[in-house]
Amino acid sequence: MIDPLRVAFVGKGGSGKSTISGSFARLLARRGEPVLALDSDPLPGMAYALGVPVDDTPLPDDVVVEGPEDGPRWVLHPDLDAAAVIERHATVCPDGVRYLQFGNLWGHISTLQRAQHAWSQVVRDVDPDRWHLVGDLPGGTRQAMFGWAKYADVVCVVVEPTAKSLHSAERLLNLSTATWAPRHLLLVANKVADGDEARRLGERLARPVAASVPLDADVARGDRLARAPLDAAPDGPFSDAVGGLIDHLRALDYDRAARGVT
Amino acid sequence: MKIAVVGKGGSGKTTTSAVLARALSRGGRRVVALDCDTNPNLGISLGVGDLETQRLLTVREQVDEGEAEHAVTWADILERYGADAPDGVRLSVITRIENPEPG
Repeated sequence: MIDPLRVAFVGKGGSGKSTISGSFARLLARRGEPVLALDSDPLPGMAYALGVPVDDTPLPDDVVVEGPEDGPRWVLHPDLDAAAVIERHATVCPDGVRYLQFGNLWGHISTLQRAQHAWSQVVRDVDPDRWHLVGDLPGGTRQAMFGWAKYADVVCVVVEPTAKSLHSAERLLNLSTATWAPRHLLLVANKVADGDEARRLGERLARPVAASVPLDADVARGDRLARAPLDAAPDGPFSDAVGGLIDHLRALDYDRAARGVT
Repeated sequence: MKIAVVGKGGSGKTTTSAVLARALSRGGRRVVALDCDTNPNLGISLGVGDLETQRLLTVREQVDEGEAEHAVTWADILERYGADAPDGVRLSVITRIENPEPG
């Protein structure tokens, strides 16, 4: 196993976070790596990108019990730890990715709260040496700014070459000043016409562009048919660019020794 | 008339709202465009420009952080958190977030 990556994708709604994060997880798993896909978006985008046949797969009610009076409302069942929850309840996806979903909004809100507490505790306790973590956050700035990507060493801000997407990216780059600022905060340019457009995005936002993902007609067609990007466009510019992002992130310096992580 | 526009991220809520607001205003209605998004970009689609859109967000953040007072009347909201947009639309960026729960 290569050094585990811990990466989260943020950006404006519709910028392509789920498409890229789900495909990133699958391409990493194809290299023989254990990958845990972490979805904290209550809309089911990542499931589509992973190619899972179900889009609603929250953790079941009985993985949590009521917490102590002065603690969280729900805590993991005393017979369970993060590894056991992943083993029993993570959804197995194409290419062997394991998928943990925050729970989306079809269910009753009280059920969702239990699933979401369970999800958060598994993410907090997961063995960082055992899994690559690939996270997908909801669109917009809110969850990211409140620390929901704390598990990540790298946060990728997915940005399209549009004014609104750039504005959202500018706001998200403020994460660099948060107490939970990730070690690396990078741009992923998505749906760009060419390398020049990606380079201009990077200049405008004064950040390195870690990957430049082109507008891919096969991916767009697949999206209309609810087909996962990698199934609609198994090879070609999209998967090349996302694969290139994996290599880019592997080459970064994480200085894990300094943080006591081996 | 009170119109709310909702939908998935990237589906075109902001664009639709902005076009609706300007079209109604051109037709002679008095229009207030309210941006209730936690990631507010309506100013861009209405055409008030990048800087003004960013300024309105900054004003709202000052309210959220307790550095500025909440508005108490509608007129006050439109005056203090608003900007004039093309075609006579008045844009205002508003918030009702009182507790920072994510999601």
